[in-house]
Amino acid sequence: MRVVIAEDNALLREGLIALLSDHDVEVVAQVADGPGLLRVVNGHKPDLAIVDVRLPPTFTDEGVRAAIEVRRRHPGTGILILSQYVEPVYTAELLADGAEGVGYLLKERVAEVRTFLDALQRVAGGGTALDSEVVSALMRARDPRAGDGELAALSPREREVLGLMAEGRTNAAIARELVITPSAVEKHVSSIFSKLDLPAGDDDHRRVLAVLAYLRAS
Amino acid sequence: MLAPMTAAHARIALGLHASLSALLALIVVVVWAAADGDGLFWPAWVFVGLFVPLAIHAGARWAEGLPTRGERALGVCASVAGALAVADVAAWAIGGAGEFWPVWPLSALAVWIAVQALVVHRHRLFGSAREEELSERVDELARTRRSVVDAQAAELRRIERDLHDGAQARLVALTMHLGRAEERLGDRPEAAELVRRAREEATAAIGELRDLARGIAPPVLADRGLMAAVEALGRRSAIPVSVEGGLSRRPAPVVETAAYFVVAEALTNVAKHAPQAAALVTLAERGDLLVVEVADDGPGGADPAGAGLTGLRHRVEAVDGRLEIASEPGSGTLVRVELPCGS
Repeated sequence: MRVVIAEDNALLREGLIALLSDHDVEVVAQVADGPGLLRVVNGHKPDLAIVDVRLPPTFTDEGVRAAIEVRRRHPGTGILILSQYVEPVYTAELLADGAEGVGYLLKERVAEVRTFLDALQRVAGGGTALDSEVVSALMRARDPRAGDGELAALSPREREVLGLMAEGRTNAAIARELVITPSAVEKHVSSIFSKLDLPAGDDDHRRVLAVLAYLRAS
Repeated sequence: MLAPMTAAHARIALGLHASLSALLALIVVVVWAAADGDGLFWPAWVFVGLFVPLAIHAGARWAEGLPTRGERALGVCASVAGALAVADVAAWAIGGAGEFWPVWPLSALAVWIAVQALVVHRHRLFGSAREEELSERVDELARTRRSVVDAQAAELRRIERDLHDGAQARLVALTMHLGRAEERLGDRPEAAELVRRAREEATAAIGELRDLARGIAPPVLADRGLMAAVEALGRRSAIPVSVEGGLSRRPAPVVETAAYFVVAEALTNVAKHAPQAAALVTLAERGDLLVVEVADDGPGGADPAGAGLTGLRHRVEAVDGRLEIASEPGSGTLVRVELPCGS
């Protein structure tokens, strides 16, 4: 896998590069600001861009803006936002054009090396990886009793499963997390698909659509 | 002195006093005429004796109507002095109008009244300067307090930035190293377990620093401004929230932060006390004021002295703003804040 990194903090940039090179992930370019990101994505056509939110020159949400621009110009490039804080506004903006190949993780998740590498693979392959903090912030946001359109039809267990799907977990991982059998997870997932009225077809695509429905409702 | 009497009583008393004095004067003149009618006109002395208490009585009645306590006292004294002055001059005239001796008592009376008038009306002479001084002082205090509050807000944002770029970033780098170490210790599970615990501690510390930073100012407020931050609050709220209005420019950071926390606290209150309600947040500029309103259609009856609302009031007052709460039972709650925008 070929990745580019946009991170202005040298300490973190070097830590990330060291960790990735331990696992044969090739860092083809590293930049420290938003405009630099666009340049290296143009030049290197990487599988994935790992992007910090706060970047020069504005030190605000430069990274999110640059990432959205990258997504617009190079739809095939996966975007993994690494941030020190969770901001649902930014997540929503990134996902506005679909959840394919988008991730938003807190930086400390990098240290859970296996999980982080899985998330990298998933996002580079067009999947989703949302931090559990992002998902739970969105969960907290809506009281199920308040009723929020199509999601109101879901049972509490199905909401839990959908939340874990939004984080990007596989059925096997969801089964482990909820301590239920993988076939029980499959049942919940297909129930979610039918309640959300998602067209039959590729399961991965339906998962992405379900996550989008979930995020739109939030 | 006449206070317990009604105005009508006082008028009657003065009339009675005047009539009695006139009657006495008439009787004295009749007695004088009946006695022999020439020689020394002694009733003049009686007239003077009757005039002084009557003049003082009338003066006191007049002074009663003056606006301030000092002026009323001055009015009574002036009446007494005036009566005495007239009596002095009359006595001089009756006594043969020789050398004008009343100049001495008249001067003394004049000095007395002048000094008292000066004391009573001193604020008119020196007041304007004093008032100006006070109003300058108030302006200066408002200005310096504002700059202290601004400096504090700037300092807090600097701390937040420093936390983000400094301690937090170092801790994140630390967890990355620990994560790599953990992987390499795959064949020594005990050591790997120790490293895992160290990583989890560091992760918890990062979480605590993040909460601390968010309490100072949420990133979206600093990055995108008040309108975006309030919309984000609305989206995260457990109740339906609509946001209306708009701002043509960004207020000072301290004003933005105060407004943000007012909306956050007000929405939390609505979600807590009126979970079935919907809320409307309005942001507007009125002249130099930022006006923020949070209205809900809940049951009303909020306690303006409650801890949450009191905390908000202090935050708003620190930037010279005003907080109003209308919460009649049955007609929802309206929290309205006016903040001077500053710059």
